[in-house]
Amino acid sequence: MSTGGPRGPYRDGLVTEATKMVERGIGSRFEAARKPFLLLQVEGPGAPREVKLDLPEMVVGRSLQAHLAIESSLISRQHFALRRQGPDYVCVDLDSVNGLYLNGLRVHSAVLRDGDVLQIGDVVLLYREGDA
Amino acid sequence: MTFFTRFWGTRGSIPTPGHSTRRYGGNTSCVEIRIDGALFICDGGTGMRELGDALLRRGDEPVDAHLLFSHTHWDHIQGFPFFVPAYRPTTTLRVYDVARDDDRAHRLLMGQMRSEYFPVSFSDLGSRIVPSNLEGGHTTIEGVTVRALEQVHPGRSFAYSFTKGASKVVYATDSELDRIVSNRDDIVARPASLRRLPSTLVDFASGADLLIADAQYNDDDYRDGWGHARAHTVVDLALQAGTKQLALFHHDPTQTDADVEAKVERATARARAAGSALIVFGAREGVELKIG
Repeated sequence: MSTGGPRGPYRDGLVTEATKMVERGIGSRFEAARKPFLLLQVEGPGAPREVKLDLPEMVVGRSLQAHLAIESSLISRQHFALRRQGPDYVCVDLDSVNGLYLNGLRVHSAVLRDGDVLQIGDVVLLYREGDA
Repeated sequence: MTFFTRFWGTRGSIPTPGHSTRRYGGNTSCVEIRIDGALFICDGGTGMRELGDALLRRGDEPVDAHLLFSHTHWDHIQGFPFFVPAYRPTTTLRVYDVARDDDRAHRLLMGQMRSEYFPVSFSDLGSRIVPSNLEGGHTTIEGVTVRALEQVHPGRSFAYSFTKGASKVVYATDSELDRIVSNRDDIVARPASLRRLPSTLVDFASGADLLIADAQYNDDDYRDGWGHARAHTVVDLALQAGTKQLALFHHDPTQTDADVEAKVERATARARAAGSALIVFGAREGVELKIG
């Protein structure tokens, strides 16, 4: 008895049906239900607020051009970046003056995990992992 | 000068993938140390696979790396056959033993790729793999002073220090410090008292910006003779050596992320109780520190 998944014409039929579902927009509704990656600012000027991480690279800093711009003299214009790397986001210090702290430890870079706390100057940020 | 240390594998004994170890990681020992243009790889546990992928992704080719092994137990060499740069003809890997007449590391890397264990033989790797040595335990590699110190571990192991300018990192895993504590009876009778370690070891780690040390056990789950240290004993080494940061490394495979965090919390409390500002943290995959 076969123990594998659907094969042959039956499988092809399923694929065709799935394709039609996507064309009808069901797929995009699934996409909308995916949990987003978030950066929540919980302390510091402008808090509380949240930023959805939906770009390959996002910058946090004092510059108005930063994706998360924070008006604080304790942070650098481009303080750190969040870079998408496969299913993860990685935080990278952009040679800031006052450093990037991950759960209290000064780091140059780190692969982030859900619930990690980042601190830059007087700003505290909470990372929430989404569906990869 | 640029001096970076990155953790690719921090787990002891055996890989432990899964949800409960996701934060600190499940890969076994592998640490990357980059000092200016020099690349040192400490141990080739399963974390070495992802290091290899990252080197190629970064475009760091041709890869020219210095490989130093604490010892050749499985969890420290198992990643090597999956280190993709080893298959590139442009890559050069210098595999170090400590003594001039020793070739154990090179020989055992070859041995684990015999056809009984792995489908690709060592001789079929495309890279240039050069057996090297640390001239008895102290040499200079690309302007970096590298020292070795023998440790207490079944079959023996070595710690390494990397110094350039005023910056220093010590990699000291698989070391049962508790066996060389001079006031060993106090560990159980008076656990809060300072555990005194030999001056050779204290001098070796002295003034390090970062000490990466085997801290597999807590006081209450220590296994005598298994070759690994209690976290509190490692804290005491860091205090005596005056290191700035201590990475608790080689987490026991039974320890979940919450267990590692509790271990770090207790270790930090011990340092604070001694009046020290020592930075204690749990070595975690994917974390990179700038040294100095």
